[in-house]
Amino acid sequence: MEMKGIAVSSGIAQGKAVLFEPFDNSLDYRLLPLSSIPAEQAKASRAVAQLCQQLRNSLLSLEAGSANYQLVEADLLLLDDAELISQLHRSINTLQLSAGAAVQRVFYHQASEMEALDDPYLARRAQDVLSLSKRLIATINGAGGERLQQLQEDSILLSEDLTPAEFALLPLNHIKGIVLKTGGITSHTAILARAAGIPALLSCNFDAAAISNGTELFLDGYQGKLYAQPDAKELATLQKQLADDQQRRNALARYRDIPCVTQDGHSLTLLANVGNLNDIARLPQSGAEGIGLFRTEFMLMDAVSMPDEKEQFSLYCEALQLIKGKCLTIRTLDVGADKEFSCINQLLAEDNPALGVRGLRYTLRHKDVLHTQLRAVLRAAAFGQVRLMFPMVCQPEELDELFAEIEICRQQLLLEQKPFAEPEYGIVVETPAAVVNLSTMLPRLSFVSIGTNDLAQYTLAADRGNPQLTASYPAFCPAVLQLIAQTLNTAKAAGVTTSLCGELASDPRIAPLLMGMGFDELSANAAALPEIKAAICEGKFSEFVELAQKALQCQRISELESLLSGCQI
Amino acid sequence: MYEKTVTITAPHGIHTRPAALLVKEAKQFLCDVIVECQGKQASAKSLFKLQTLGLYHGSHVRIFAHGQQAEQAVDRIAELLMTLS
Repeated sequence: MEMKGIAVSSGIAQGKAVLFEPFDNSLDYRLLPLSSIPAEQAKASRAVAQLCQQLRNSLLSLEAGSANYQLVEADLLLLDDAELISQLHRSINTLQLSAGAAVQRVFYHQASEMEALDDPYLARRAQDVLSLSKRLIATINGAGGERLQQLQEDSILLSEDLTPAEFALLPLNHIKGIVLKTGGITSHTAILARAAGIPALLSCNFDAAAISNGTELFLDGYQGKLYAQPDAKELATLQKQLADDQQRRNALARYRDIPCVTQDGHSLTLLANVGNLNDIARLPQSGAEGIGLFRTEFMLMDAVSMPDEKEQFSLYCEALQLIKGKCLTIRTLDVGADKEFSCINQLLAEDNPALGVRGLRYTLRHKDVLHTQLRAVLRAAAFGQVRLMFPMVCQPEELDELFAEIEICRQQLLLEQKPFAEPEYGIVVETPAAVVNLSTMLPRLSFVSIGTNDLAQYTLAADRGNPQLTASYPAFCPAVLQLIAQTLNTAKAAGVTTSLCGELASDPRIAPLLMGMGFDELSANAAALPEIKAAICEGKFSEFVELAQKALQCQRISELESLLSGCQI
Repeated sequence: MYEKTVTITAPHGIHTRPAALLVKEAKQFLCDVIVECQGKQASAKSLFKLQTLGLYHGSHVRIFAHGQQAEQAVDRIAELLMTLS
């Protein structure tokens, strides 16, 4: 039996199912007889004290100052608060609520006040408050449920939900994987699971599989799948995957946290291409130094309407929060008739959608869409290092129009007194015209990023999705390489940061060559980063430069190919 | 009464963990310390109340206290609000 979920922490795990004892969160809503009020107040105080004691005990087993420690400590401070007790007592007294119902009322009120805050990060902490209230209600009801400590074998924990405090109590030497019915990638539990390197699957409804304690489970944190009692054939495949994964991880893991520097001391900034928050959340595992391409089209998938400013703002802030001070490069919506989304109408059928109204051409024609995104990005830029780049820019006229729109948004935000900051602006160089016109556009840009997939398609006039053409017109060909070199030289001469975010950068054989050409940074798929880093750390920059020089002299695709295979980087 | 006004510089504002640190510090003082932000007030000793203030990046915060150690307490909390992140 196979079930799906959101993989928030990758890896493969095997173990016996352990069902986390759900807390008893039932509430007594009956009106309290007046005579019972003092007893009920005492009960609430007792439960708070009891939970505080539990949290203090769990602090003892945690490393002081660690993330877990601080989260449990925050829960503790929240509870050990005279104001909280007095609010609970007041609710019991004036509304004649039971202790549990009073906790629910006070904490829900607290959570809703936090949710109403104008800061998405602070607002999200409301979830932690609600988790804590459940635990407090369970304590009032007398359900502790900490039998996990007696685990002896490799296990996969299944639960409805798991608070950071509960996570902190898990015997991690035996818990090999975590599966929750609720939760998303930015929940604290997901962050903690990733930090602990435990594969975790969230939003996975495992009820259908009728799992009980001891059921053999297999968790695939790459595909986001959970297998219950796999048959012999499945098991063989999965175990092979597990062994391969272990081997691969061990071999590449040592590169993850070391800087990307060649043997002769030249460094390169390695960034990741991401398409959603899930990708971003998994970045620490790849060793990326930031995000070189955040495709924002994904927001539109399954969306009924265009996400509004608040939604986008909170999304970008969440992304910034996840990457902890590293650089976030946002690419504005790259939509057009070639990429259809149900929430975008007004798209006219075009004979040649790839040459039609797409990328910036679309957003400049739909100012509401452009303004919403620009405003959200400007506001998010106040909360971290944000770069904003625009797809399909060909000529300076487009930038004239674009920067006028940016100015409008800036004025609006000033008038509304909303905090914002200036992101760094850049373009995706993906048409031959952009390469030729680059020097005219550079004065307004802080960086450029070459999109090799489209640059190849437009240079070679070969549809990248046409299977008849892909083999004969590869992106790694002399024509495209010359355009890349031209872009690089023009931009570097103007002192503008040059990046490359296309598929070429994701090839561990080509990345060193690109570094040799002189790129400041490369942005590749997260999964490819460890291998790229290994290739760069194992080589010398002087060799890469030599390789790049040879490559630029190649006149045929076949010469380039033999250059790559001959060097065996 | 002794008071000070500061601006929050922490990029993500004073969220759970820094707020917890703040409360721990405030509890060291004999007097109560009140933090006021956008018309809402909370005791710096109550994480529960403090969380609802919305102490985010760029907010102006007024801190005041009466009585014993008022000056020390306000100075310390003001310093933390400006430096925690």
